[in-house]
Amino acid sequence: MSALLEVDNLNVSMRNGSGRLVPVIENLSFAVAPAQTLALVGESGCGKSMTALALMRLLPEDFVITSGRIVLEGRDVLTLPAKQMRSLRGSAMSMIFQEPMTALNPLFTVGDQIGEVLRWHQGLDRAAARSRAIALLRAVQIPAAEQRIDAYPHQLSGGMRQRVMIAMALAGRPKLLIADEPTTALDVTVQAQIFDLLAELQRSTGTAILLITHDLGAVAELADEMLVLYAGRCIEAGASEAIVTAPRHPYTRGLLNCVPHLAVGGPPQPWVDLGEIPGMVPPLGARGADCAFLARCAQACDVCRAKPQPTLEPIAPGHAVSCWRKTELAA
Amino acid sequence: MAFATHLARQIINAIALLTAVLVLNFCLIHLAPGDPVQVIAGEMGGASAEVVAALRAKYGLDQSLMQQLSIYLGNVAVGDFGYSYYFNQPVLGLILQRLPATLYLTLCALSAALAIGTMLGVVSARRPNGLFSHAVTVVSLAGYAAPIFWTGLLLLLLFGSVWPILPVVGMADVVNPKHGFAYVLDVGRHLVLPSLTLALVFIAQYSRLARVNMIEALSADYVRTARAKGLPEWLVVGKHALRNTLIPIVTVAGHQFGNLFAGAVLVETVFSWPGMGRLVFDSILRRDYPTLMAVLFFSALMVMTANIVTDMIYRLVDPRIRTGRR
Amino acid sequence: MTIETSSPMAAPQIDLSAPAAVPPWRLALRQFMKSPSGVAGAGMLLLIILVAVIGPSLYPVDPLDLVGAPFMPPDADAWFGTDYLGRDVLAGLIHGGRATLAVGAVAALITIAIGLVIGAVSGFFGGAIDAIMVKITEFFQILPPLLFAMVLVTLFGPKLTTITLAIGGVSWTSVARLTRAEFLRLRDLDFVKASRAAGASSANLILRVLLPNALPAVIVSATLAIGVAILFEGGLSFLGLGDPNVMSWGLMLGQNRNYILDAWWAVMFPGAAIFLAVLAISLVGDGLNDAINPRLRRRS
Repeated sequence: MSALLEVDNLNVSMRNGSGRLVPVIENLSFAVAPAQTLALVGESGCGKSMTALALMRLLPEDFVITSGRIVLEGRDVLTLPAKQMRSLRGSAMSMIFQEPMTALNPLFTVGDQIGEVLRWHQGLDRAAARSRAIALLRAVQIPAAEQRIDAYPHQLSGGMRQRVMIAMALAGRPKLLIADEPTTALDVTVQAQIFDLLAELQRSTGTAILLITHDLGAVAELADEMLVLYAGRCIEAGASEAIVTAPRHPYTRGLLNCVPHLAVGGPPQPWVDLGEIPGMVPPLGARGADCAFLARCAQACDVCRAKPQPTLEPIAPGHAVSCWRKTELAA
Repeated sequence: MAFATHLARQIINAIALLTAVLVLNFCLIHLAPGDPVQVIAGEMGGASAEVVAALRAKYGLDQSLMQQLSIYLGNVAVGDFGYSYYFNQPVLGLILQRLPATLYLTLCALSAALAIGTMLGVVSARRPNGLFSHAVTVVSLAGYAAPIFWTGLLLLLLFGSVWPILPVVGMADVVNPKHGFAYVLDVGRHLVLPSLTLALVFIAQYSRLARVNMIEALSADYVRTARAKGLPEWLVVGKHALRNTLIPIVTVAGHQFGNLFAGAVLVETVFSWPGMGRLVFDSILRRDYPTLMAVLFFSALMVMTANIVTDMIYRLVDPRIRTGRR
Repeated sequence: MTIETSSPMAAPQIDLSAPAAVPPWRLALRQFMKSPSGVAGAGMLLLIILVAVIGPSLYPVDPLDLVGAPFMPPDADAWFGTDYLGRDVLAGLIHGGRATLAVGAVAALITIAIGLVIGAVSGFFGGAIDAIMVKITEFFQILPPLLFAMVLVTLFGPKLTTITLAIGGVSWTSVARLTRAEFLRLRDLDFVKASRAAGASSANLILRVLLPNALPAVIVSATLAIGVAILFEGGLSFLGLGDPNVMSWGLMLGQNRNYILDAWWAVMFPGAAIFLAVLAISLVGDGLNDAINPRLRRRS
C-alpha cells in the first residue's frame, strides 16, 4: 500500500538574530499510511511541533525549510502555489493544537468557526453549514450540540473546546489529521477521553493521524508506528509496540521510564533503573555533529565521543535506531 | 436582564458625576477672585445696578452657601444654566445652537480617524519592518507631537493662500448660499480641512495602537488555527485578527472623547467653524463665565455619554464581557 | 543541622550571561542607548534645553521689545522676522523656550505628584479609601483636561503660575490609574509581604518598597506628561489665555495667529518649536518605554 504522506529528508532551520541559519530539524524522513497513526515523540524543544507546522507550511516567519520533500497523496506540498496549498489545508490535511483556549478565536461562536471550514471548502450555505456543524459536534460527543453551537469558546470547558477543535479539523474530511499535543493542556481524565475519541473517529472516518505527544502511554495505545525525535533528529523509529516493549536508544528508554504504568505494569526490564534523564535538550545553535544525546547519556562511551551522530540503522524488521552502542544495549 | 441593570447603574453613576461637575462649577464661582455676582454677570456684561440686584435675588447670594448651592442645582435641573450678558440670551439656548456643528465635526473626525488609523495600522502590521511600517511610525509620531492648532494653521495657510482649492472659513458659503444637495456638498467641502486637522492627532494614535494590536493578533494561536483551516488571507486578517484588533481601539477612542472635544474647540477657532469652540473663544475674551461653566458641564455630559456608548459597543463586540464569565 | 534552601537537583538553568549586580537603571540606560530614535530624541531635547538656558545671554534681545516695523519678513537683520507689533521672532523663540519648557516641566511635576499620591494611596490601602479615590479619579476623567484648565485660567487670570498650576492639576488621572494598578500588583508580591511581615510601617512600605518598584512604569508617562503640558500651554495661549507679560512659544502663536496671512513666520516658527520639543520628548518616552518595559519591546 502506498503511503498517504511521505516526508523525505526534511531540514528546517531558524534564522537567528544575526541572520545565520540554525538547524531545527535535521534529515527527517517518515511516512504515514492511510488510516494509520504515526506518533512523533520527544521532549519539548525537540522539533515535533515545528515538523507539524512544516507539513502545513505554517512555520513562523523566521523558520525556513532548507531542503527535503513532503508528498501528500502524490502531490509535492512544498512546491504547490500558495492558493492550492490553502485549499489543501483544512480539507486534505488539518490540524488540532495544544491549547484549545487560545487556538479558538474568543470573539466568534464555535458554530461560526466550524461553519467557516464548511462554507469555504465545501461551498455550503449558512443553514447547511450550521446543521452540518451540529452533526460534527454530535460526532465529537458534545452534549446538547444544538445549544452549544452558539456558545463562545470561553463558555466551554477545556475538554469541550478541544472537542470543538477536533470537530473543526474533521469538518473538511481530511485524509490526514495532525494532532499537536492535543491533550497537554487538559486534565488527566479528560486526556483519556480525547484519545478515545480520536481512536473512535479514526475508525469511523478512516483518517490517518500524525500524533505529536510526549505521552508514551497514549502512543502505546493509539499509534501503529512511532518516531522518537531528539534535538531535531530522529533517533529511533519503528512499530510502536516493538519500541515500547523493547526500546533500544538510551533516550527512548529514559522517556519510557518516565511513564509509570508502563514501567510498573509489565515485567521488570533490565533498563528500568535508568532513572529520570538528567539535563535538558541542547538549545538551538548548540547542536554539533556529535550524537545530540551524548551529554545526557549514561551509556556513552569512547566511540560515542569520537564519532559524529550515527545514521538511523535498522536493527530488526521495522525498527531502526541511531546509536553507536545499539548492539551492546540490546539486552 | 443583566444588560438593563448594568445600563441603569451606569446612568445613575453618570448623573451623580454630572451633579458633582455642577458642584465644582458652583465652588469655582465662589473661589474665583471677586464678587460672585460679578463672576455671574461677566465683566463685559450689563453689570448695572439693577442687574446686580436681580442676580443677587435670583441666586440667593445673601443666603448661606448650602442654600445657594441648592438654588443653583434647582435652576440647572429645570434647564436654567444662567444668562449670558454678552450674547444677551440664555446660556442653554446658546449651547444647543452651537452643539450640532461641533458634534458634526467631532463625529466626522472620529470616524475618519478610526477608519484611516486602523487601516494604516493593519497594513503596516503585515510587514512590521517594512518601509511602509516605518513611514506610518514616523507619521504617527509627528501627528502626536504637532500642536493641533498649528497643523490647522499650516493647512489654512496651504489651502487658504498657497493653493486655494478648499474653503478655510466657516461651515457654508454665506456669500452665495446653496440649497438642497448643493448645500450638503458645500458643507462637506467646508468640513474637509477642520475634520482632517482634528483627525490627524487621532489617526496618529489609532494607527500606532492598531499596529501593535494587529501584530499581536497575527501571532495569536487563533490566527494560526484560521490559517490551518485553509481560510484565505483576507478572511484571516479581515475577520479573525481585525475583530480582536478593534476592541482596544474602540475602547481608547471612546475614552478619549474629551480630548476629541477639546481638540474640536481649538480647530473650530482656527477655521471659524460655528460650533462650541467659537463660543468658548468669545466667552473667554468677554469673561462670560456662565457660558464657560455650561460648556464645561456639557462637555462632561458628552464624555459620559461617549463612555456609556463605548461600553455598549464593547459589550456587543466582546462576548466575554457580554456573557459575564471570563 | 542546616536547612537547604536551594535544591541540589535543580535542572540547569538557561545561562544568564549578564554580569551580576548591574543596577537596573544602568541596564535600562544601556538598552536606551541602543534605540536610535530615543537617542536622537534625547539629543534634540538637550539641544532645545541648552538654547533655552544659555541662549538668552548669547542673544540678549528682549522678546517683548519693539525692535522694528511689524510684519518684517525674515532677512539678514531679523533672521526670523518680526511679529505684528514689531517684536523680534528669534528673540521670542529663544527666550520663550524658557517659559514654555518651565511650564511644561513644572506642570508635569505637579501632574506626577498628584497622580502618584492618589494612585499610591488608592492602591496601597484598598477598600473604602480606594473606592473614594477611584471615584475622584473618575470624576476628573470626565472633564476634558484642556477645557477644565481653560475655565480655571479664565477664572483665576492668565498668569504663568496659574497656567502651570491649572495644567498640572487637570491631567493627572492617567498617572494615578497607572500607579494604582502597579501598587495593586506589587502589594501581593512576596517581597512586599515579607517587608510587611517584618514590621515595616505603611509609610515605609510605600516610600521604600513599593514606590521604587512602581516608578519604572510611571517614568514613561511622566516623560510624556511634559509634552502634553507643553501642548496645553500652547492650546491655552491659542485661546487667548497666555500670560501677556512673559514671552512663550504658545503666546507668540496665540497673539500672531490672526495675522497668519500677513506674517506666516511669526506663527509657524513658534509652532515648529513646540512641535520639535514635543517630538523630542515623545521619542525619549518611546525609547524609555522600550528600555524599561522589555515585554513591549518584543511586540513592535
